[in-house]
Amino acid sequence: MNEGFAALERLLFLASKRHGVIASNIANADTPDYKAKDIKFDDVLEDEAIAVRVTHPSHIVQKDGVRGVGIVIETMQPWKDKNNVELDMEVAKMTENALLFQAGITMLTAKMRMFRNALRR
Amino acid sequence: MNSFTVLQISASALEAQRQRMNVIASNMANVNSTRTEGGGPYRRMEVVFSPLTVEQNPAPLYGVEVVDIVRDNSPFKTIYDPGHPDADKEGNVALPNVNVIEEMVNMMMSFRAYEASVATFNITKSMIMKTLELGRA
Repeated sequence: MNEGFAALERLLFLASKRHGVIASNIANADTPDYKAKDIKFDDVLEDEAIAVRVTHPSHIVQKDGVRGVGIVIETMQPWKDKNNVELDMEVAKMTENALLFQAGITMLTAKMRMFRNALRR
Repeated sequence: MNSFTVLQISASALEAQRQRMNVIASNMANVNSTRTEGGGPYRRMEVVFSPLTVEQNPAPLYGVEVVDIVRDNSPFKTIYDPGHPDADKEGNVALPNVNVIEEMVNMMMSFRAYEASVATFNITKSMIMKTLELGRA
């Protein structure tokens, strides 16, 4: 029952971390030699989805819910100044990520409301 | 990790783009300046950007800063204008190496980058506000 909280917390942590990475890319859109970075959610979340399914007492549970954030360097074709940030792509990514973050917050609020309703009966 | 770090990143980008805008504006303003303190016509300037580490753990995050303002050493434009007070014996005048169109393009690029950072700032703010609403009904 409480796993939902942990998963949502992880989602919010990763989304805010990714927000920071995208903000760095946007800030350095004109910095020579800077390479765009990103956090690939698919890899991180897929791993963790497997990690939470403990079906046997001898399974090793990771105590630390949040793992090292895997930052990857994008391999897009760089511009002449060796910078490969695509500004509009980054803004789109940031909007998408912020919506995901808001969805997480909404779900967390809904979950809290559920608990509150259960306590009230 | 601090949620407000991202605001610092955006702020550093706004600051850097504003400085770039200042340099572009002074290039534009001096497009016809033939006398400077150092002698000779005005040389156009350009800013040098470099990533600025605002957070190291758990992952490095970079803002941006202007580390240097350099002079452009490309040759001056010369025009024939014998009536000009700074004309040489043959009547040629050396004008600054400022290309107005190039400066306009740089200005638009700088403005777009500035806009993107303002958008980032607003999105960050709305994320933080949303977090503060957590659990309130």
